[in-house]
Amino acid sequence: MERLLEVTDLSAGYGAVTVLRGVDIHLDSGESIGLFGPNGHGKTTLLKTISGLIRPTAGAIRFSGNDITAARPPDIVNAGLIHSPQGNTLFGDMQVYETLELASIAKRAKGESRKNLKSVLELFPRLEERRTQKAKTLSGGERQMLSIGCALMCVPKLLMLDEPTLGLSPRLKKELAAAVGDIAKSGVPLVVVEQDVEFLMALTDRLYMIEHGEVVREIDKANAPDHEEVMKLYFGEVSH
Amino acid sequence: MIDTLFATLVSGLVLGSLYALMASGLSVVWTTLGVFNFAHGALMMIGAFFAWTLVEPVGLPLPVGILCGALGAAAIGIVIERLLVRPYYGNRNMLLITVMTTLAAMIILEKGAQMIWGARLKQLPRLIDGEISIASATISAHEAVMIVLAPLVLAAIWAFTVRTNIGRSLRAVGQNQDTAALIGINVPFAFALAFGLAAALAGLTGALLGSIRFITPAMGADPLTKAMIVVIFGGLGSLGATAGAAYLIGLIEAILVLWLGLYWTPFVLFLIMIVVLVFRPNGIFGGNQ
Repeated sequence: MERLLEVTDLSAGYGAVTVLRGVDIHLDSGESIGLFGPNGHGKTTLLKTISGLIRPTAGAIRFSGNDITAARPPDIVNAGLIHSPQGNTLFGDMQVYETLELASIAKRAKGESRKNLKSVLELFPRLEERRTQKAKTLSGGERQMLSIGCALMCVPKLLMLDEPTLGLSPRLKKELAAAVGDIAKSGVPLVVVEQDVEFLMALTDRLYMIEHGEVVREIDKANAPDHEEVMKLYFGEVSH
Repeated sequence: MIDTLFATLVSGLVLGSLYALMASGLSVVWTTLGVFNFAHGALMMIGAFFAWTLVEPVGLPLPVGILCGALGAAAIGIVIERLLVRPYYGNRNMLLITVMTTLAAMIILEKGAQMIWGARLKQLPRLIDGEISIASATISAHEAVMIVLAPLVLAAIWAFTVRTNIGRSLRAVGQNQDTAALIGINVPFAFALAFGLAAALAGLTGALLGSIRFITPAMGADPLTKAMIVVIFGGLGSLGATAGAAYLIGLIEAILVLWLGLYWTPFVLFLIMIVVLVFRPNGIFGGNQ
């Protein structure tokens, strides 16, 4: 099986602050992985480092057999490794359809812009309704949809989603989870950052728990923890 | 009375066209990079001198000279971005640092122009000779060309930044650099493009203005001040607001000159700007943020 993404001994941070310490994760083609753990422990930083926004201080990142450790974000996008950030980080003053069209600016996406736009609007019909609205006027769920829609416009070979259901109502969460499930079924491998472990278990094949910038546990579907164990992972042993 | 008012209106239109061309470049740099380019007036002057050199000593046709003036200014603008702005991206104090560095660029360009071209006043021929009378108002045909050209140029920039992906990428980078990079936009290229485009607009303005005013190393100072008033008065970040403000300021200035004379006009102009900003801090056409 081809190793699609391989992160080896990765360290990174912001200025003098080290956030990631020797992270090892990998993803084989045909599987999806999830990252979970407490807030502020490095999950988003890991995604940002993989997509080239943050320069690692040590370690290596390989994608599709190529070393992308020092590559710049546009080159990483062109290789097909796409990072969909949290929905509150869009272009506030840009309209929905403008944003989606712009998201096909990468060389790999240019030719198929029209076709991709159609399938994104089929996946998220709400975006079609909001076509001419500015991103800042969208609801939280719609922003997430737009963020994921942009990532799909880039024609991902591997899609990294950062908390796609953060702050959504249960109904919207379900709708978005179904859409993300459809993306996975269409054959795009996913790296998903989420707080909700059950959501992650349903969507991905393996999970990494990240704490204090390190991978502290790897969980396979075969040795999946039950609800109680997940609670322990988050909150530690609870004495009764 | 009506005749005088009409003449004032036309002269306001000429000023408005000049300010619109200048301010739109300033606005493009602000929306993309979030900095004020104090060398914008000097780039305008460079455009005028380049055009003059190609038209007078070299003997090329004026339209070629104007085009090359715009391109020459664009090239200098890109160099300024590369050397004096780019090193400070991501710096917390970028806005303040680039005030210093672009002011430095302004001084270097002005002194450099004085060394190269000397202090003698220069002037370009006009695109079209003669005068045009519209009812009671008479303006030179060259000024009429500027009145027609300014909205066309503004419409072209608007179409570029709203209809094309490369133009949209400038707006995207201004709103969120990281997200822009994550959809494959080359952020440093967008910065250089914004600076080059703005400098080209300044150079074009200078080359056009060189036919109706004298070309001197300091010719950009007053248009720069006016362009800054326009951009802030209109509301930062929107090309439409900048264009609207440019014509409004041009008109107000023309009326003030008629009523109060040249001496008091800048004073009252700044007073109006301060009053507007007190009640509408985001500019007269700016939205509430």
